[in-house]
Amino acid sequence: MSRFAGSRDVAFEQRELDLELRDAAFGAGVRKSEFAVIAVAVAGASAAATIVATGGVSSNPTMAATVLVANIGALALGGLIWRRGRPSSSFGQLLLAEGVLVFVSSLSGSPDSVLHLIGMLGAWAAALGASWLLLSFPGSRLGGTARIVMGLAVATFLIGELPLILLAPRVVGVSGMAGCATACPANPALAVDAPAAAEVFRHVQGLLQATWGAGLLFYLATSFAWASHARRRLLFPVFVTAAPFVAAFTINAVVFDLAGVPPTGTARAIFAGTRILFPLGFIAGLLFARAYAGEALAFMARKLVGRPPVAAVEQLIRRVLDDPHAGLVFWLPRSEQFVDRHGMRAVLDEASENRTWRAFGHGDAPVLAVVHDVALSEDPELVEAVGAASLLALESRRLEHDLLDSVDALRASQRRLVGAASAERRKIERDLHDGVQQKLVALRIQLELTRDLARESGLSGRLAGLAADFDDALDELRSAAHGIYPPLLAEEGLEAALREVARRSSVPLTVDLEGVGRLPEDRETAIYYCCLEALQNVAKHAGDDADAFLRLWRERNAVRFAISDNGVGFVPRSATNGAGLTNMADRIGAVGGTFSVRSTPGEGTTVLGGVAIGASDRIGDVVGV
Amino acid sequence: MSSASELTNPDPVHRLVVAEDAYLIREGIRNALERENDEVQVLEYCPDLDSLLRAVEEHRPNVVLTDIRMPPTNTDEGIQAATTLRESHPEIGVVVISQYVSPHYALKLFERGSAGRAYLLKERIGHRIQLLEAIREVAAGGSVVDPKVVDVLVEARMRAKNSLLSRLSVREREVLAGVATGASNAAIAESLFLTKRAVEKNINSLFAKLDLTDDKSTSRRVRAALLFIADSDLEAGSEP
Repeated sequence: MSRFAGSRDVAFEQRELDLELRDAAFGAGVRKSEFAVIAVAVAGASAAATIVATGGVSSNPTMAATVLVANIGALALGGLIWRRGRPSSSFGQLLLAEGVLVFVSSLSGSPDSVLHLIGMLGAWAAALGASWLLLSFPGSRLGGTARIVMGLAVATFLIGELPLILLAPRVVGVSGMAGCATACPANPALAVDAPAAAEVFRHVQGLLQATWGAGLLFYLATSFAWASHARRRLLFPVFVTAAPFVAAFTINAVVFDLAGVPPTGTARAIFAGTRILFPLGFIAGLLFARAYAGEALAFMARKLVGRPPVAAVEQLIRRVLDDPHAGLVFWLPRSEQFVDRHGMRAVLDEASENRTWRAFGHGDAPVLAVVHDVALSEDPELVEAVGAASLLALESRRLEHDLLDSVDALRASQRRLVGAASAERRKIERDLHDGVQQKLVALRIQLELTRDLARESGLSGRLAGLAADFDDALDELRSAAHGIYPPLLAEEGLEAALREVARRSSVPLTVDLEGVGRLPEDRETAIYYCCLEALQNVAKHAGDDADAFLRLWRERNAVRFAISDNGVGFVPRSATNGAGLTNMADRIGAVGGTFSVRSTPGEGTTVLGGVAIGASDRIGDVVGV
Repeated sequence: MSSASELTNPDPVHRLVVAEDAYLIREGIRNALERENDEVQVLEYCPDLDSLLRAVEEHRPNVVLTDIRMPPTNTDEGIQAATTLRESHPEIGVVVISQYVSPHYALKLFERGSAGRAYLLKERIGHRIQLLEAIREVAAGGSVVDPKVVDVLVEARMRAKNSLLSRLSVREREVLAGVATGASNAAIAESLFLTKRAVEKNINSLFAKLDLTDDKSTSRRVRAALLFIADSDLEAGSEP
């Protein structure tokens, strides 16, 4: 758990912060910092073009200036796009830094020997930087193979270039990136003029540069070949624009440096073209990824319309992420842990080599996390789209689940209330029957027997009157006790109790009672009182000529009942019948049943209801949360 | 067949076992049956179903007077006793006393045959004559239903305008109610101030109207009449 409490939480907050910042920036205009970058880039590009065009050092000033302006512009634009489009990545900063290095390399066009040397070194730095960009893309750090290639690059500079700076009278630039044709300024750092040694190092440099270029090509090709679909989306434009540039760079080293063939104008033009093209791949990569994420979001939104279960959402995520092991875990706020859809605690191990996760939620509260392949971290837009869509889909399910939970709770409490009420009624009936009623009956018997004894005296008549009053009281008590809770219902169930109701009904009543057997007490009571209420409604509202029909039957896993009449009917939703109907609906609702009333003025009324017999009447399924 | 004439000749002494769990009612029964009475002899008072059945085996009474609701379950032990005795001792008459005016219980009592069975409301205990009549009736194999049970049914049926009962004349209806209580033709004649012949005529015509077969045995016709009054209008399709 310490993972969540510690570093991971910080990361989570950071991501949330990023998300908010970006949300705030979405659709907003150009920011101040971006204005500054644009201004610096324009100034730098102009300065670079001016230096190269007016320095008289470059062999083809126009072409060199074009390349510089295009590169500085593309790198500044790429930097801005990356910073805005993927603020979590520092790749944008790398692009901006590369732009600065390219500007520095333009100083090699200066006739001043010191500035020329700085420019030549700047060109080296820009070449190394470009190498770093390709090797680290789309992150900012280097993996194992990339480090070897980068090591070759650095070795080329250290072994191939530094000795030359000390030994050659003219500064030799990185092949094809910078150089001078005719009026090359003298090398201010020359220590010993050793042409033979310099020639050896020139070859060493050419060899190393060719190896470096080949290594870079090899790295690009293999990483593209082994990349996941998601990663290829990002790599493809970079691969397409970088491969010609790196190839030209390698060929340059082999043909011109090692073989000593002087470059033709066409070769220079082609190389310049690949240089201009190269940084555009980084921009295209990000735009492709974002476009795909948008498409994925739209796809998921379409698929999630039917609110599939969690398992289906997971399947969808795997498909969209192209990661067969991707999954969803859900945050339990009370126990502060993530669980999978089976409710098992999910261990999100940071130490795991190729799995990582990303949480989604509201503010500080995570709701779920997408667990995915580490490689997908390079495609955060996609993971974000997937997470957001899952969050939306499952949030609504969760809401529904919570709602169902509260409906269940409400129903349970309603059931308890109704159950308690009917248990109470039953108890009252028993108390009346076994207590008061029994005593009254005994008294009545005594009274009658006393009357026998008093037959001779004048008391007999008075006692007879008393006995009659007593009988009335007993009748009333009996019918009250029966009304409170019919013992027949408790003893023999619905069919017997309803038949008894029908026998005593004041409305002409036809019954069709199927033997439905005994049901749980709460259900029997609900149906009984509902039928009673409906029959009372017929007596009260259906009119003098109405006949009623009571039907009770079993249908699959439910017991159904219907009370219909051919009376005057009423307009449904007119308030007059309200309380009685609400009572019925409440009683049936409390046991999870269904209830409906249909009525047409002049054609009578039908009350229909059903109650499930099974133990569970829960509606809906449980979300894996 | 019982009749008023038997009242004056209390020759066969009825040997009773009484089952009633309520003390007050038990004392009422004791008062009603044992005081100034040599026609009835109570052999034992039992508080529940088990002791009743045991006492029957022990004393071999000719009539059992039992409460409907007693331990162990306090539901319809009296009817259970009647059903058990129908099998084991068909000769024993059973009077079930109850506080329930529901015809359901009376009909249930008659389910396995109505001979020698009576269903009385408890307050009849005070009417010693009615109680004794019921005892005599079941001892002789007849049937009795408390008139109040029949009245409640007839009242409800009469409120329903389209009831089959409304096709009967007032007199016929009174006679039918009398039949349903188990009264003999003579007893009906006496209570309605009719001749026995007039009662027989009424019975013939109303049984014909109702499509009931008259049965010479009052115990069987009481059940038919009661069932008719209770359920004739209820069943789907029974309407003409």
